[in-house]
Amino acid sequence: MILNVTFWAFSALAVFSGWRVFRADSMVRAAYWLLVSFAAVGIILVLLRAEFLGLILILMMGGEMTIMAVFMVAFMMNPAGLNPMTMVHRNSVAIVAGVVSFLAVAALGLFARFPVARAPEGVDPTRKLGVELLGNSMLVFQTAGVTLLAAMIAAIAISSARGRYGDADQGSVEPDQMVTAPAGDVAAAAAHDPAPVTSPGAHQ
Amino acid sequence: MTLQALLVVAAAIFGIGVYGALSQQSFVMIMMGLELMLNGTILAGGSMWALTTGGSPKGQMLVVVLMTVMAVEAAMGFALVIGIYRVRKADITEKIKRLKG
Amino acid sequence: MNALRVVIAVLSVGTVSVAGIYLAAWVDLLVGRAVAGLEVRPLDALIAPLRWGAATALKARTTTERPDAETWALAPALLAALAAVGLAAVPLAPGLLAADVANGIVLFGAAMALVVVAVFLQGWSPNSPLPMIGGYRFIAEGLSYEIPLAVVLIAAALPARSLAIAPIVTSQEHLWNIVRQPLGLPLYLMAGLGLAFWGPLALPGGQDLAGGSSLETSGVSRILWRLAQLLVLVAVAAMGAAVFLGGWLGPLFPGAAWMIVKTVILLVPLIATRHFVARVPTERYVVVSWAILIPLSLLDVFIAGIQALVAAR
Repeated sequence: MILNVTFWAFSALAVFSGWRVFRADSMVRAAYWLLVSFAAVGIILVLLRAEFLGLILILMMGGEMTIMAVFMVAFMMNPAGLNPMTMVHRNSVAIVAGVVSFLAVAALGLFARFPVARAPEGVDPTRKLGVELLGNSMLVFQTAGVTLLAAMIAAIAISSARGRYGDADQGSVEPDQMVTAPAGDVAAAAAHDPAPVTSPGAHQ
Repeated sequence: MTLQALLVVAAAIFGIGVYGALSQQSFVMIMMGLELMLNGTILAGGSMWALTTGGSPKGQMLVVVLMTVMAVEAAMGFALVIGIYRVRKADITEKIKRLKG
Repeated sequence: MNALRVVIAVLSVGTVSVAGIYLAAWVDLLVGRAVAGLEVRPLDALIAPLRWGAATALKARTTTERPDAETWALAPALLAALAAVGLAAVPLAPGLLAADVANGIVLFGAAMALVVVAVFLQGWSPNSPLPMIGGYRFIAEGLSYEIPLAVVLIAAALPARSLAIAPIVTSQEHLWNIVRQPLGLPLYLMAGLGLAFWGPLALPGGQDLAGGSSLETSGVSRILWRLAQLLVLVAVAAMGAAVFLGGWLGPLFPGAAWMIVKTVILLVPLIATRHFVARVPTERYVVVSWAILIPLSLLDVFIAGIQALVAAR
C-alpha cells in the first residue's frame, strides 16, 4: 500500500518535472527540473528493486545536469529568465507529435501481452548484474567501454580550442597552403599566424 | 505498481521528451528533450526487467546500455554545440538555415 | 525491518549529526586558537559556535539584485540533506542502519556526487560574479574528487564481495582495510576534504574569492550552509571509519562506542588540516588528481583484486 502510494507520487513527480523543464523561464531551473525527473525515475527503479541501476542513474544525472546548466548559462541569451521570451518553434506540431507518440507508446504498453514474471525477492540483483557484466555480456561491457572512450576523444577533438596549426575559430590551415607566407619562409609565416586563403569555417 | 501503469508513465515522459525535442529552438533544450526520451525508455526497460523477465540479468544489461547511450549522446551533443557556436556563432536552430559552410 | 528499528536508526543518525557538527566546530576553534598562538580556553570555545550562530542570525539579512530566491534557499538545505543521507548509509552499530539498502557504497557515492549540485546552486543563485566563480570552480574540480572516492570505496568493497557497508565491516574482522589497502584511506580523506570544500581544498568558498560561493549568504542560510558543510565532514569521517578502520569491531566496549571513537579519530585530522595546510590552487589540484591520484586509486583496486584472487584459491 505504502509502496503503491510512493510509486504514484514519484511517477507524478517525474512527469510533472519533465513538463516543467520546457515551461521554466530560467535555464538553470530547466536543467534542474530535468534532474528532478531523473531522480524520480531513479527512485522508482530503486522501489522496483533495481537498486544499483537507480542509484547509478541519480549519480550520473547529477553531474550531467550540472554540465547542462553550465552550457545553458554559456549559450543561452537569457539564462536566468530575467526577461520573458519565446523559445519554441512549430509549437502546435510539436504538441501533436508529443501526444501522438505518448498515445502510441501507451497503447503498446496497455494492449501488448507481456509475460508475467516478477523478480524474486531473495536474490541480490546487483550480484547477478555483476556476474552477467563480466561473464556472458563481457563483449557488451567492453564495447560500451570503448564507445565511451571514443566519445570522450571525439568530444575533446571537436570542442578543443586549438588545432594543430592554429586556433579553432580562425580555421586552421596547414602552413604550406598559406598564400600570404613569404617564399621560403614558411616557419616564420606560421609563427605570425596569417589569415589563410580558404577558411573552412566561413563566418556568416 | 503494475506493468501497465509503469509503461503509461514511461510513455508520458517519452511524449514530453518528443514535444521538447521538436519544439525547442535552443540546442541545449533539444538535448534536454532527447534526455527525457531516454529517461522514459530507461524507466520502461527497468520496469520490464522487474516485472516480466523474473530478474534476468540481461534486462539490467539493457538498462546499462541505455545509460551508456545517454552518456555518449550528451557528450557528443555538447561538443557539437560548442563546435557550431565557434563556427557559425549560432545557439538556436533558427540561425543555421543553410548547410553550406 | 519494523518501525521501531527505523525510528531508532533515524534518531541515532540525528544525534550523531548534531554531536558531530558541534564537535567539529569545537575542534576547529581549539586548533585554530592553538595554531594562532592565542590562549585556547576550551570552555569558551564550547559556547563560541552558539555565539556565532546567534550573532549571524541577528544580523541584517542582505540580498542581491534579482537573485534566484528559491534555489538560493534550497541550496543549504540540499547540502544538509545529502550529507544526512550519506551519514545514514553508515552502520553505527551492528544492526543499526538507517538506510538499509543493499548498495550502501553506491548510495554514499550518489549523495556525494550531488554535492556539486548544491554548491553550484549556492554559487549561481545570488546573481553575483564571485559566488558564481566559486560554484564553477567546484564543477571544474568535482570529478577529481568523485573518481578517487568511488574507486577506493570499490576497492574496499572487494574483500567483502558486497556493496553493502555491513558486510564490508565484518570482512575486516581479521585485518582492517587500512592495513591491507594502504593507499585507500589517504586518497579517501583527500577526496572527502574536497567534497566538503574544507581546508586545503576550500576552493569554492575560498579567501581568494572573498568568501566565494557563500559570499552573499546571510542570516539563517549562512548558518545552515556551515552546518551542512560540517555534516559532510562528519559523514565522510564516519564512512571512512566504517570502511577503512573496521567500524564497530573492537574488544571490550560496545560497537557503537568504537564507531564513535574511530569517527572522532578521522574527524579531528580532517578538521585540523584547515589550520596546517594552505589552500591548493584549482589547476594544480586537478592536475595532481588526474595524473597521480586516479592512477594510485586504480593501483589500489588492482592490489585489492589480487588479494581477493589469492584469497579465493
